[in-house]
Amino acid sequence: MEFIKVESLSFTYPECTAPAVDSVSFAAEQGSFNVLCGATGCGKSTLLRLFKRELEVRGERSGRILYRGTPTDKLETKVSASRIGFVMQDPEQQIVTDKVWHELAFGLESLGTPQDVIARRTAEMASYFGIGSLYEKNTAELSGGQKQLLNLAAVMVMQPELLILDEPTAQLDPVAASDFISTLKKLNDDFGLTIMIAEHRLEEVIPLCSQLLIMERGRIILSGSPRDVIPRITDADIMSGMPSAARLFSSLDGRGACPVTVREGRDFLTGSYRNSARKIEENEYTHSPDTALGFKDVYFRYSKESPDVLNGLSFSIYTGELVCILGGNGSGKTTSLCTAAGLLRAYSGTVRVFGRKLKEYRNQSLYRGCLAMLPQDVKTVFLKNTVREELADAGIAPEELPFSLDDVLERHPYDLSGGQQQLAALAKVLAVKPRLLLLDEPTKALDPAAKLNIGRVLRKLRDEGMTIAIVTHDVEFAALFADRCMMFFNGKIVSEGTPRSFFADNSFYTTAISRMTRGFFDNAVTVTDAAELCRRNGAADDTD
Amino acid sequence: MILIKNVGVRRLVRVSVPFILIPLLAVAGTLVFDVKRNLFVSMLIAVLALLLFYTGFESKTVGSRRMVIVAVMTALCFVGRFIPFLKPMTALTIIAAVYLGGEAGFLVGSLSAVLSNFYFGQGPWTAFQMLAWGLIGLFAGVLSDPIRKSRVFRTAYGVLSGVAYSMIMDIWTVLWYNGTFGWKYYLAAITTALPYTLSYAVSNVVFLVLLFEPFGEKLGRIKKKYGV
Amino acid sequence: MRSFSEFNPAVVFLYFMFVTGPAMFCSNPVILVLSLAGAVTFFLVRNGSAHLKSHLGFFLLFVILALINPLISHNGVTVLFVLNNNPVTLEALLYGINSAVMVIAALYWLRSLTQIMTGDRLMYIFGRFSPKLALLISMTLRFVPLFSRQTAKTRNAQKALGLYKDDNIIDTILGDMRVYSIVITWALENGIITADSMSARGYGTGRRTSFSVFRMGLRDVILLIVTGALFAVCCIAAAQGSLKFGFYPALSRLQTDSTALAGIICYGVLAFLPSVIDMEVNIRWNLLRSRA
Ligand SMILES: Nc1ncnc2c1ncn2[C@@H]1O[C@H](COP(=O)(O)OP(=O)(O)OP(=O)(O)O)[C@@H](O)[C@H]1O
Ligand SMILES: Nc1ncnc2c1ncn2[C@@H]1O[C@H](COP(=O)(O)OP(=O)(O)OP(=O)(O)O)[C@@H](O)[C@H]1O
Ligand SMILES: [Mg+2]
Ligand SMILES: [Mg+2]
Repeated sequence: MEFIKVESLSFTYPECTAPAVDSVSFAAEQGSFNVLCGATGCGKSTLLRLFKRELEVRGERSGRILYRGTPTDKLETKVSASRIGFVMQDPEQQIVTDKVWHELAFGLESLGTPQDVIARRTAEMASYFGIGSLYEKNTAELSGGQKQLLNLAAVMVMQPELLILDEPTAQLDPVAASDFISTLKKLNDDFGLTIMIAEHRLEEVIPLCSQLLIMERGRIILSGSPRDVIPRITDADIMSGMPSAARLFSSLDGRGACPVTVREGRDFLTGSYRNSARKIEENEYTHSPDTALGFKDVYFRYSKESPDVLNGLSFSIYTGELVCILGGNGSGKTTSLCTAAGLLRAYSGTVRVFGRKLKEYRNQSLYRGCLAMLPQDVKTVFLKNTVREELADAGIAPEELPFSLDDVLERHPYDLSGGQQQLAALAKVLAVKPRLLLLDEPTKALDPAAKLNIGRVLRKLRDEGMTIAIVTHDVEFAALFADRCMMFFNGKIVSEGTPRSFFADNSFYTTAISRMTRGFFDNAVTVTDAAELCRRNGAADDTD
Repeated sequence: MILIKNVGVRRLVRVSVPFILIPLLAVAGTLVFDVKRNLFVSMLIAVLALLLFYTGFESKTVGSRRMVIVAVMTALCFVGRFIPFLKPMTALTIIAAVYLGGEAGFLVGSLSAVLSNFYFGQGPWTAFQMLAWGLIGLFAGVLSDPIRKSRVFRTAYGVLSGVAYSMIMDIWTVLWYNGTFGWKYYLAAITTALPYTLSYAVSNVVFLVLLFEPFGEKLGRIKKKYGV
Repeated sequence: MRSFSEFNPAVVFLYFMFVTGPAMFCSNPVILVLSLAGAVTFFLVRNGSAHLKSHLGFFLLFVILALINPLISHNGVTVLFVLNNNPVTLEALLYGINSAVMVIAALYWLRSLTQIMTGDRLMYIFGRFSPKLALLISMTLRFVPLFSRQTAKTRNAQKALGLYKDDNIIDTILGDMRVYSIVITWALENGIITADSMSARGYGTGRRTSFSVFRMGLRDVILLIVTGALFAVCCIAAAQGSLKFGFYPALSRLQTDSTALAGIICYGVLAFLPSVIDMEVNIRWNLLRSRA
């Protein structure tokens, strides 16, 4: 008997014609690691929610999911609650109580577990996840990454057999994301936990994955082990989300087994290519002489007692540049954007926008065509009842948009998928047509193809003269599209440079290709770079 | 409310016992007990009435979605109490009661009173405030149909509940200052509290006009999407 | 070495019931003065010179409360003077002062209680009786700051998108209204998701237990027994009528029999107990530090 079996499952939201999940069937073994991927709005979250009947929204459903042979809607309530753990897309919304210890205990309390068992299990889990020191803290004071870990721990205390995760790393910095994934691997190895995860960032999860499921418009179009599935992908959009090693392999028309991990990619490269030409030549980067956004010795803190979040921050962004700012969770990136947008006031230092100090912009003139910002939490951008009204309110017609929202125009913004919300919010910001555009994590929750599209749109806007500053955790995106990258640490910019020099220097905050080619090539940071160098060098066995 | 099976009787008892008993006992206390006991008795009754409701709530199976909506409404009341001069608390309580039922109304009213008092000053009056706001919610739940349908009735209920709230609290004021209930004191208290009474009534009407329909729409959306 | 507020919350809560109970329902002036002195001392020990302004407010309230009674009530035999044809009596004045002492003392106790009984402590106490209600309350308390933060966040986001056209009041109000409206929608939606997260973790599948980090130790039990015993003595004294004191028509005499004395002494100890515990902790701490 299979552990999980999904049989021709379909789901249609009310007032929608097309089903969001369309006759999906697959099976999963106990202890397997299943990865679900696919374009924004293809139905991943909807499918995952169907595994837990407690999370049901209204709609028409057919087909069934069998858990150890029992349909999930016939499972005993306690079994359904404790054996199937679910970690939602948004870490904030899953938290129920105000203290960390209480959050950890919540599930066990609900199941009527005796006090001493609760005490033991919560303490144990808190240490396992390294959040023991937060035990007595308020949940509201945690950073995004800590909240994510807390959610995972709060589900794990109930000792589930199946763990379902919906884009858990979307807001984590690369180091934290990698830690999170290794924790999952440990759980999978140590406890034989079956994992089902929806993700857009596949680089780290594919090496652990035993079954890869690719979704398109509600259907599963490909499934199987990554090594079997990846070579069968024909669609370029889907391919663009696969691990760099696989993409490099396919763009070089490699033969043999497809590499999926960084290590396999390196073996493939060193085994098949020479490296006499190690470097991509770059023209000297020149920027315009005018500063669009200038920070000079800026200090900021949230309250009198708390430590400085911006700690003598100084940097300049010049007109007509596209700059990406990277840095760890809680290092102060969002804070610095808010300071630049005049939403927070620094207690010392000056911020200038197009040469003028912020306080010289009177009467909201800063926000009239001069500067606009996309916040990290995009739900705060919406004011209306439908996307159409939202766009009309912003003064932009749906046809003018560089991406299509046509399918969702009549929906409430809160009824969109995570990625669609991101796009709708981006549309509203672009409609302002500012001279200086500040974007806080614009690519989170977007599928790789949509990301590439956004990147191209932003490049075009930059060519038309807009200055763009992007805060992001997405190193691949920064490597592809930025003119310059900056590294934020501890309230300061600690390093900056063009993507090639910047990423070639970093060891963790860097792209998979850069790690793969370290010591072999000098400054390859994207798949195109590496492929270009390989072609130039030629295959290793051509020499003799 | 665990013992009474008949829904109608249960509702009647639940409505009439606290509302009629409290003022009655408070006044009767003047005659029967000596000084100070009066305050004691009426407070006891208030607390008992509250307990009655809360045990009823505890023994029921309330869906978690419904319960959280009550928590949300209570929190909104709490936040609303920070607005200077005009207080949307009563209006929000009425709205919660009309759309979610009388029990929800009672909970929203009474809980937002006791919780917000942690900021605005906790005191023996809390029990009375809880009861007063709770009852406003409870009756709004009972009268939900006419309140929903007729704008005039809604406005009238708003004014009335403002006045009623003020008058219930005046009973308390008299008991607290004086120990016993006396009509002379009560009249004095009502007159001095007139500006407050007026501001309550005005707030209720203003916020009912502003909020009633938008809230209906928002709660309707939630009902449609999640089937609360 | 624990300060008073760190004792088991249930014990602390009961203490406050014990100490305010006699003071609220008996009119013996000595008890009331002890209550006020104990309450103010405890508040000062905990807060030092912070909140100085608020003491002034309490003082004003005191004066007002004390003066209201003689102006309204004309009972009593010792007429001090006549105002508008109404006699103002000594008894009524003293009664007013007595009541004012009671009110202000109760308010000071409540202030300390409110400071000490944070959300999780209240949950600990009431969670046993009513897990559901306790959960409802704890969620509400979490939502309040959450909504304020979301409002601020939304307002900022909209400001940076140019929602507020000018710096005038009308524009600000119109913009704010739209922000409040959407925050309410958000709050409801967010609430449902929270609810789903609760049921997903088994809420409503059966009887809840209530877990907490507070424990009942030996010291807590001792404190409970001591305060309970002191309270019991006061109650016995009151029940025997030894603590009775009347103002009208003429002041009665304070009783000084042994039960009355025992009641008063016990109440005095009860009222100053937390201040003593806290001061002892402070002194010991300072000694330890000076030696180190
Ligand atoms: N409550 C709802 N009512 C109507 N339609 C909805 C609702 N929620 C989601 N949808 C639609 O169903 C489709 C699938 O949404 P879903 O959230 O499952 O996408 P997803 O694959 O998780 O996308 P993302 O990667 O962006 O999170 C989308 O087109 C979305 O607009
Ligand atoms: N409103 C606030 N009040 C108090 N402290 C805050 C507030 N917002 C952020 N902080 C703190 O300031 C620090 C910087 O936060 P910020 O949001 O700028 O980080 P970030 O670099 O954007 O992180 P992330 O990548 O996770 O979004 C963090 O330690 C955070 O806890
Ligand atoms: Mg999703
Ligand atoms: Mg941020």
